[in-house]
Amino acid sequence: MLLSLLQFFFNGLISGGILALPAIGFSLLYKILRFPNFAFGSYLTCGAYAALFVNETLGQPILLAFVAAMATTALIGVAVDQGAFRRLRRRRPLTLAIVSIGASFILENTVRFIWGGGLQHYRLPVYRDITLGGIHMGKEQITILGIASFFMVLVQALLQRTRLGKAMRALADNPQLAEIKGIDTERIILLTSGIGGALAGASGVFLGVDTVIDPLMGFNLILSVFAGAILGGIGSAKGAMAGALVIGLAEEISLIVLPSTYKSALGLGIIILILILRPSGFVRN
Amino acid sequence: MSAYLVAIGTFVGIYALLALGLNVQWGFTGLVNLGHVGFFAMGAYSTALLTVHGAPFALGLAAAIVMSACLGAFVAMTTLRLKEDFLTIVTLGFSEIFRLFLINEDWLTRGANGITGIPRPWRSFFSQGYELFYLCLISAVVLIVYLILERIRRSPYGRVLRAIREDDEIASVAGKNVFRFKVQAFTLGAAIAGLAGFLYAHYITYVSPDTFVPALTIYVWVALIAGGSGNNRGAILGAFVLMGFLEGARFVKDFIPFLTDVRLAAAREIIVGLALILLMFYKQEGLLPEERSKSLV
Repeated sequence: MLLSLLQFFFNGLISGGILALPAIGFSLLYKILRFPNFAFGSYLTCGAYAALFVNETLGQPILLAFVAAMATTALIGVAVDQGAFRRLRRRRPLTLAIVSIGASFILENTVRFIWGGGLQHYRLPVYRDITLGGIHMGKEQITILGIASFFMVLVQALLQRTRLGKAMRALADNPQLAEIKGIDTERIILLTSGIGGALAGASGVFLGVDTVIDPLMGFNLILSVFAGAILGGIGSAKGAMAGALVIGLAEEISLIVLPSTYKSALGLGIIILILILRPSGFVRN
Repeated sequence: MSAYLVAIGTFVGIYALLALGLNVQWGFTGLVNLGHVGFFAMGAYSTALLTVHGAPFALGLAAAIVMSACLGAFVAMTTLRLKEDFLTIVTLGFSEIFRLFLINEDWLTRGANGITGIPRPWRSFFSQGYELFYLCLISAVVLIVYLILERIRRSPYGRVLRAIREDDEIASVAGKNVFRFKVQAFTLGAAIAGLAGFLYAHYITYVSPDTFVPALTIYVWVALIAGGSGNNRGAILGAFVLMGFLEGARFVKDFIPFLTDVRLAAAREIIVGLALILLMFYKQEGLLPEERSKSLV
């Protein structure tokens, strides 16, 4: 029992790692633009398929595919922002949320148009699982956790130590003040959209490596991503990481008592509880 | 061909009801609801579960409306105090939780397989032409709902809803119990979606969780915004426009030979997504904008 609990804990850690990167991007953009971007799930999907193209069609190793996927979704993040959101900056959150769903329809179905609706896999070298103290760990899973942690540290460093990070935080904190102080708002939004897209794309590849690739993969994860970001307090990168980890762990551990189809309902349930009990989230900066 | 048109007409009627329901919530009162499909599903499943076990249609109808209304009231009371951006997430989330419930609780809902063999009302009276009869039935229901909603819209009650939409703080200062009005409007909209669910279930004779996905909610939004939110005639017109978008893609297939069914479905959704974005850019007031009431001053 204890052993299986540890196994669930390890799986939860992986899920949390996969959720954390898009949660950070989503959270920062939400704080700056003040609407939930529903297209984030489709950035994830696009990343997974971009990597599939490089890995399967072009026959390149998965690591190269991973980098290409991040570059592609960074561009998609910027393109969606410039093409769809920019014209609507001052409109109400509902309008932007609906437009982001429209963008997500377009992206997800472009993927479906090109690759069809079936399940796909990357071409990966096969490794034997490592068993450590009775817990099964895939080599891919450990790599995912490593790369995800690396990017979390990188984002944190970017936010804390660079001028760009400072400007991003200032804009999230108080857009009017930031603008008066001479911060180029549009430039920061552009860069944040790109970074958010890249992080979501990375996570799409993780998910494809850990499970399977299909056009709905991003949408199925989006509510858990939202839950992580909201749990951590919108606008806080550290909070989003912690929140995503908690959601990942809660979802995997819930499998002990709940059927697996309720997994994403758990994230939603947590969102609703948090919003009703504490609209500002649990982590304070 | 005429059978095809009758089927399309029936779907226009169902979308028109859904859009009319959303219009009460969003168009009249300014309430955010990205989970409309959940109330539609509640209506469809309520009547399906009762009537396959031999309950009379009247009971199915009452259950569809009452259960959706209750779900609507529950969602409204738990969430309406939240800010708009969070409401988009929470309402969409509610409809997804409800869909997962339909998939999981197969002791009640038969899970992912859905419910088959839902009876059709007055079927035995017709040896032929039943589909046409059903189209007339749906049109009559749309007309009745339209007339009731027009009455509400013109009444002092409708004016309060619009006042809440424009500025709920002023409405509150004017002594209106804003929260109660909001809950009532949301409940009414959900009940109309439940009625649409009833008509859908008995037309298709089969319901399954696959039907009730968030994309359907977005279709209804497209219809309402295209037609003109705040305007009941706009909501109905929007249902026609939506079906034009959805079915138009079908005819493209005849011209492009390589289009498989999966690709066709994908192209359809891409068109809907584009239409949604372009509507928000260029025509947010819709084809039939709301008539602004003449100022008294």
